[in-house]
Formats: sequence, structure tokens, C-alpha cells
Amino acid sequence: MQKKILLTAVLAVVLIAGIAVIGAAKAYVPGTPITAGFIYVGPIGDYGWTHAHDVARQIVAKEFPWLKTVYVENVAAGDTVSTIDKLVNDKHCNVIFTTSFDFMNGTLAAAKKYPDVIFAHCSGFKRAPNMATYMADFYQVYYLNGLMAGALTKTNKIGYVGAFPIPELKRHISAFTIGVRTVNPNANVYVRWTEAWENPAAAKEATEALVAEGCDVFAFTQDSPTVVQVAAANGALSFSHYSPMYRFAPNNVISGELVHWDKIYADFLRKVYNGTYTAHNLQNVDYWWLLSQGAVEMGAKPGMPINPIFINKLKATIVDDPELGKISVYDLIQTRLDQMANPGITFDPFQGPVYDRKGKLEVPAGMWMSVNSLTSMQWAVKGIIGPWPGEP
Amino acid sequence: MLKVLTPKWLKIERRPVPSGGVIFLVSIIAIVAALLVAAIFFAAYGVSPISAYRSIIGGALGNWSGISETLRRMIPLLLCGIGLTIAFRALFWNIGADGQLLLGAVAATGVALFSGLPGPLLLPAMFFAGFSAGALWGVIPAVLKVKLGINDVITTLMMNYIALYVVLWLIHGPWRGPSMRGYAYTDMFPPAARIPVIGQSHVHWPTLVLGIVLAVIMYIFLNRTRGGFEIRVVGENPHAARFSGISELKTIAIVMVLSGGLAGLAGVGEVAGVHYQLLDPTQISMGYGYTAIIVAWLARKNPLAVIITSFFFGVLMAGGDVIKVNLGLPFQLIHVFNGLIMFFLIGSELFMNYKISIRRQ
Repeated sequence: MQKKILLTAVLAVVLIAGIAVIGAAKAYVPGTPITAGFIYVGPIGDYGWTHAHDVARQIVAKEFPWLKTVYVENVAAGDTVSTIDKLVNDKHCNVIFTTSFDFMNGTLAAAKKYPDVIFAHCSGFKRAPNMATYMADFYQVYYLNGLMAGALTKTNKIGYVGAFPIPELKRHISAFTIGVRTVNPNANVYVRWTEAWENPAAAKEATEALVAEGCDVFAFTQDSPTVVQVAAANGALSFSHYSPMYRFAPNNVISGELVHWDKIYADFLRKVYNGTYTAHNLQNVDYWWLLSQGAVEMGAKPGMPINPIFINKLKATIVDDPELGKISVYDLIQTRLDQMANPGITFDPFQGPVYDRKGKLEVPAGMWMSVNSLTSMQWAVKGIIGPWPGEP
Repeated sequence: MLKVLTPKWLKIERRPVPSGGVIFLVSIIAIVAALLVAAIFFAAYGVSPISAYRSIIGGALGNWSGISETLRRMIPLLLCGIGLTIAFRALFWNIGADGQLLLGAVAATGVALFSGLPGPLLLPAMFFAGFSAGALWGVIPAVLKVKLGINDVITTLMMNYIALYVVLWLIHGPWRGPSMRGYAYTDMFPPAARIPVIGQSHVHWPTLVLGIVLAVIMYIFLNRTRGGFEIRVVGENPHAARFSGISELKTIAIVMVLSGGLAGLAGVGEVAGVHYQLLDPTQISMGYGYTAIIVAWLARKNPLAVIITSFFFGVLMAGGDVIKVNLGLPFQLIHVFNGLIMFFLIGSELFMNYKISIRRQ
């Protein structure tokens, strides 16, 4: 009996290993219908990162009659290739978007396996002839929100609940702090890390700890509205992040960072459809889209750049800007927003001179940072208080 | 208990030793019953249950990409499962395979990235280090139980969390890879530290072969050697063991060196065969250490049968992807589906150990 079982098992394994059928995909012909697959790292109901990507997917699916979309949620890093296998072989996807840094190596492996399928990977840095990268970044918006936080704090202590100490968050927190310090040189930004993108319990704990330290305005990087809710329960102000979180605390949400991934998806898919992008020319295609491309928006919810109940306070707060002279914070925000949102950008939050919190000159006077130095940024600007793993 | 609740026309008798045929038949009926109940959920989502099952089986076994996914999931379940059959034979409740797997992954990563060993020695050294680390993690609760009487379920379970945080600390701290731009991953393993795979799949076949060979060796060890006999005696009758001079500490320690070590090997396979780096612990273990408890249990503590049960759970896990991708159903349904199968399998225990018939009068 036992021997039989063993023999059968060994035979089965040998047999299975012997079968090797690898599906082959056909090259996309421009102008024909596209099936686009979206791979998500979280559940579509996370009210953060994945939710925002899925909203964008639905927008482009409605916009283009020639586009069909499919999505897979909650995909683990190790399952990237196997999920793509099914999307290519069973769902006949021509274009596949992988929407998390976790999927970088898997997407690259799949791009080699399916040279005729077009891939685009969000937030990574590896590309291939048939694999582009894309990112809608918030650092300009964080700077604008920082201007508001600096004007509205009463304790001069601003809290920031971060997920992971990676360059993306370090860039955002520094831009935010530059904004805070521009209008309020006495204010500091207190940082706590949750080491998780979505962990409401840890976010609550971090927010409460920062409230106890005296913080009265909050910004954050979390895929849940927890910080907004906990801050409001303690009478503190906050900003929306990724998704419109205004409705969770209409009296406490000042503004926020909103994303429009659909702008990138629409542009990319249109260029695949008209033949601009093929499976052979994506090696240098890297979307780094900001305010001027409409990929990100400053607002508590779409169409509400600043919650009206805070506008008077922002108009009444006058600062002395070295470049613009005496100006209300409200006008300063509008000026900077115009300078960054209109084509021919004339302002950047990180324009030199910028010193890190150890006193080292990071960006010389008159210089701007390159995309590459922004995406690999490890230092912290003056005014940030708290642990900073990987600080040079 | 049973007598009180049974109506008079039912007759329930205990089966002293259920035969292989009974175990097989009852398990099959349980699985079919679970599939019938799960069918209700598929139908509620507007998917025909028959076409759903056809695509799950087809997706997991119908082509090479499905089979390769099934085999990839089978490998860690097989290694952890064999280890757990050994522990369960000694009635040592090792709930810690997940943590032992993670420690194996950590040790393998350390060797792969920092040992400086020449290429051909790397992989053997990684497997050795992974086994040792898993064994060490497993032997701690063994000593705590025998020497201090501390509950093995609690210690093995809690040590999973310690292992999880060890991995988190390493990838966020000292081992964070300079090439990963601040993200919490180690650097990629050099090519010599990667286990060969079949084609472009994730099937790291040397680990699979190792698992099957170890299943045979452990079967022989448990059933044909003095050491295996002592393990059974310690498990089934600790008093007899003590009277016959079997050292409980030594026996339980050997059990947990093997059990933890095998789980450690599974961890080596995951980092060196699938990911090629150390990353978020939940992405490495994927709950394999917990699923393996059911794999071992379903195999009735028989290492050879683990080959079959781990393959079956590999099919379930690969089939879960089909539910998500091809049928477009919410991913939560996979948990419902897998949960139902486990529920019915565990519930079927009663029918294995008792013969139920209708009284004729």
C-alpha cells in the first residue's frame, strides 16, 4: 500500500515535470482593441493606494471604447509572474500594469518571458524594451500642504505618521517640512513610522502618541483614513491622502494630496493604441508626473483645494517671503500652486539652497534636484524630528 | 456524549484502527461535501459551479503554468508537513513551522549575501545553515517543555512572532539592500546562490526532490528504526517511555531538531528558489507553516502521505489564483473555499473513528 502510494507520487511528479507548455502571446497591432490587466497589491477597498488605481482603471475603461480591463487584487510579490501568466494566456491581455514596488522583479521576469506583451510598473526603477515605469508624485502638493500646516498650528508641533522610511516618504516629509518652515520657522515636524502601508491600529497608536506630544496638525502616508479620524477625535487638523478623506472629518481636513492615475493610464494606453509605444521602445519610458500634468491635485476632495472654513485664517496670516515680500499664506499657496501647475514650471520646493538637518548643503543655491536624486533621497531637512533610518 | 445525543435507531461503534480504505473514502466524501457547499457561494456570485470547478482544476492542473504553481506551493508544504508529522507523532504540538521556516530563510540569506563562500559551496551551505537555524528555533520550545513544563502550543506559536520581527528588523535595519533604494528588501542573491528552476517557472526542483527523498527517509526512520520507535512511545505513552529508560528530553529534542530543521529547509527554498532575496516575512511564509499543520494532520502523521496531501493543498492554493484571476471573484472567496474544505475534513474525523449505522429492529 505505502509503496504503491510512493510510486504513484514519484511517477506523478516525474510526469508533471516532463510536461512543458509555455503559452505564446501575439504582438499587439495598433488600432485593434486592447485588453489591459491591472495587478493590485491590496484590496480595492483599501481607501488608499489600490483604491486610487482602481478608480483610475474604471475611468479609462469608460473613456476608451476600444479598451477592456481586468484586475486582480491582493497579489503577493511571489505570485507576480503566475498572475501575469493567467492574464496573458487566459485573459489575453496586451498591456499589463503592475501597481506596487513589490512587483518589480516579477514584472521584469514576466517582461522577458512575454516579449510581445507591454508592461508598465508603478514606482519602480527597472525597465526593459517592453516594460515602462510610471509614478504620480506628491512632493509639490506636500509642500503646499506644509504651508497650510505651518500657518494653522497653534503648538508649533506638526505630526507625520509615515509608513516606511523609503525615499518616497523622505522626499514627501522633507517637502512638507520646507512648506511648514517657510511660513513658520519655529514649527517642527514630528515623525513616527508604522512600518506598514495599511495598519489602522498602528496608525491610531502613532497618532495618539503624537497628540500626546502636543501635535495639533497631521499629515501622513497610510492607506486608510485612520489618522484623519483619530486626529479629529482629538481636535487636531489633518489632510486627505490619496483618496478624498474630507467626509471623514469635514471640520478638520484642511486640504490634501489627491491622485489621478487615470491621466497616466489614459496617456499610456492612447499611445499604445496609436502605435507610439510598442513592445520594443519602452526602455526609457518613465512617467514622473506631477501637478502640471494633472496627475496629482491639491485638495481635501476633488474641486475643494482648501476647506473653506480655513481660508480666512490663511488669508489673515501674513508672512515675509524673501522673494515675494509681504504676502498672505493664502496668496503664497496660490502663487506657488500656479508656478508648479502651469506648464513651464517656475518653482520647486527643493530649489537651493537646501540644507539637511545635520547642516550639510544638499542643494546649492539656484539649483533644482534631478528626478534621480529626488527618487533616491535619503536625507532629512531641518525641522524634522524623529528617527530617520538610512540617514547619511 | 455521543450516546446521549444519538437517537435510538442509530448505532455508533468505535473503530479501533480505521483502515486506509476507510480514511481515504471518508476524506473523499468530506471533500465532495465541501465542494457542494462552496457551489452555493459560486452560484450566489452568478458563476456556474460546474464551470467554476472546471476552471479551478484546469487552472491548477490543466497546463504547465498551473502545474508549476501547484508544485511551487507544494514544496514548502511538503517540507514543513513532513517535519510536523514527526512532531505530532511525539504529541509535540509544533505550531511554529512558520517561524522555523522564516529562520531558515534568514540563515540562507546570511550565507548567500555575506559568507563570501565560493560559488559551488554556496547552496549546500545555505541548506545546511537553513536546517540548523530552523532546528535551533524548534529545539528551544522542546527544552522549555521538557525542563520547565511550558506549554508547547504557546511557545511554538509565540516564537513565530519573534521570527517575524527578526525578519522585519533585518530588512529594515542592518540587511536593507543598498541597491533597493531604501525599500525594505535585502539585495538580490548572486546567481550561484539561486536554486535552479524548471524553465521560467518558480519550481525549484532540487528542493522538491529533496522533500520527496526526505519523506521516504523520515518514513523509514519513524517506522523501521529504534529512534522512530522511541518517538512513538514518548508520544503515545510517556510513562512507559520513562520506565523503559527512554530519555524524554533527548527524544523530544531530536523530534524538534528534525521538525524545525525541515521547516528551515522550506525557508531556504522560498528565498533561494522563488524570491532570491529576503523580503517582508508574510511574503516569504505565505502562511505555509500554518497550512502545513493541516497537511500533516490530513496525512495522518505519515510522512509519505504528506507527498499527496501537500500536492492537494498546492492545487487548492493554485486554484485560489484561478478564482481571483479567471473567474474575477473577490479574493475573500478563496478563504471561504479553503475554509470549507478544511472544516469538512476535520469534521469527518468522527466518521473515521466511529462506524455509524442504522439499527434494524
